[in-house]
Amino acid sequence: MADLAPEQVQALAQAAGLPISNPEDLAEVTHRLNAFLEAMATLDQLPLERLQPIPALQHPEALP
Amino acid sequence: MNKEELAYLPVTELVSLIKRREVSPVELVETYLERIARWDGSLRAYITVCREEALEAARKAEAAVARGETLGPLHGIPIGLKDQIWTKGIRTTCGSRILAEFVPDEDAAVVTRLKEAGAIILGKQNLTEFAMGGTVEFHYGEPRNPWNLNHSPGGSSSGSGIAPAAGLCAAAIGEDTGGSIRGPANNNGIVGLRPSWGRVSRHGLIPLAWSLDTAGPLTRTVADCALVLQIIAGYDPKDAASARLPVPDYWARLDGEVRGMRIGVIRETLYSDLIDPEVQASVKDAAALLGRLGATVDEVSLPLMNVAGPVFMVICDSEGASLHRKWLATRPGDYDQATRRRMLAASLIPLALYHKAQQVRTLIRGQILEAFQRFDVLLSPMSATPAPRIESTKNVIQSKEDAFRQLFRGRIYSTPFVLAPTPAVSIPCGFSKVGIPIGLQLVGRPFNEVAVLRAAYAYERNTTWHTRRPPLP
Repeated sequence: MADLAPEQVQALAQAAGLPISNPEDLAEVTHRLNAFLEAMATLDQLPLERLQPIPALQHPEALP
Repeated sequence: MNKEELAYLPVTELVSLIKRREVSPVELVETYLERIARWDGSLRAYITVCREEALEAARKAEAAVARGETLGPLHGIPIGLKDQIWTKGIRTTCGSRILAEFVPDEDAAVVTRLKEAGAIILGKQNLTEFAMGGTVEFHYGEPRNPWNLNHSPGGSSSGSGIAPAAGLCAAAIGEDTGGSIRGPANNNGIVGLRPSWGRVSRHGLIPLAWSLDTAGPLTRTVADCALVLQIIAGYDPKDAASARLPVPDYWARLDGEVRGMRIGVIRETLYSDLIDPEVQASVKDAAALLGRLGATVDEVSLPLMNVAGPVFMVICDSEGASLHRKWLATRPGDYDQATRRRMLAASLIPLALYHKAQQVRTLIRGQILEAFQRFDVLLSPMSATPAPRIESTKNVIQSKEDAFRQLFRGRIYSTPFVLAPTPAVSIPCGFSKVGIPIGLQLVGRPFNEVAVLRAAYAYERNTTWHTRRPPLP
């Protein structure tokens, strides 16, 4: 997967209603976002197909 | 007894002394206020010191003792609160400029419980902005490690780690989303417990990430930790995630025994390529000691811990960004640069990634919970290294690879147990050659804080690390 360029990240930010005016902010946001995308892409090898994305475990006895 | 000795007495001992009228709550509060006035200019553990309120509460507590009233289990004990926790009529900034004027109109559930138990709220403690960690410029002063002012006290519950360690309160309440109680406990050489998610009400905590946040105690001893947990734990209908479970008598279960306990030493953290040799040696020694005390100690491999960092960050930051969206759009300049950049990036994370992260979380949780088929407690270093120098925590992210290194790798030590979600405690287990504390992490199955505290107490009883005091400047 190719990294996103700062211009692409700026376009995403503008579409989200959060334009990034500071160039240093934009550079770091771009690095962070590319790291998230790449790190999560490597997890495609895990057997995720039938897994439910349940955020937190509720103890069975704790259920109302 | 001199004031230094008084300031460092365990809560368990102070409670008895107050009941026997050998220590007055007013004397105790004044002692901490004097120490705060003397040391906190350099330590910056507090954002707001509740001087008048604490003295007034102490006078009432003293009068109650004099009248022979039935006293609560924390009667007259001065406690500090992370400034993320609502306090009625007292500003609650969350370490931010944005909430600089926020004054809650009610107490958080944990504060209500502490007050009902007789505790005195001494002040609101410093933290990284909005409890996120990585703050470059603290709005209320740079918090510093009492063992060496040039080193980091950890975050996000920075002041709640510093203050008990430096004798600036009897105990503190912090909040842990990804290690924010255990990290400061590790860095400052005290005890810090992340309870099970749902064990302690989050009503009145300013949230960072709804599916991860929990409040918990930071104390100088394991027994104090059990005592404070006893007060703040329990079902609360105001928190949708609160567990309807009975709260065990944690204090009564501290028997100093680990005979028959099965302890699993996690290979992925103890032998990580990040590990500092001094930390590794201290944690190995701790595991060996628990073995000599009668526990069965064996190694366990949990390879999915290696992916916990990015999974945690995607979940935490996505949930956090939803809270910050309005302020990011209207007041971006009021954030510290690190928080602003973190939340801007988080706002752009695709929903599919959050969904995938929750799926991987299910896998990680399954692997950790499976380990509890074989073990009662898991054991790990709390951190790869002792507390780093402050300047090294303020690095700007210069590249994607830098982001991997700074954001993901070190989180293998703290975040897997947040994702699980299991209780975990950090206790001191040594010091580096330059005098910085080293922390041991003990983890239990969900809602089994008893096992974690029992193992921690047995270790503490057979070591002296917790008796050391920092050389305040």
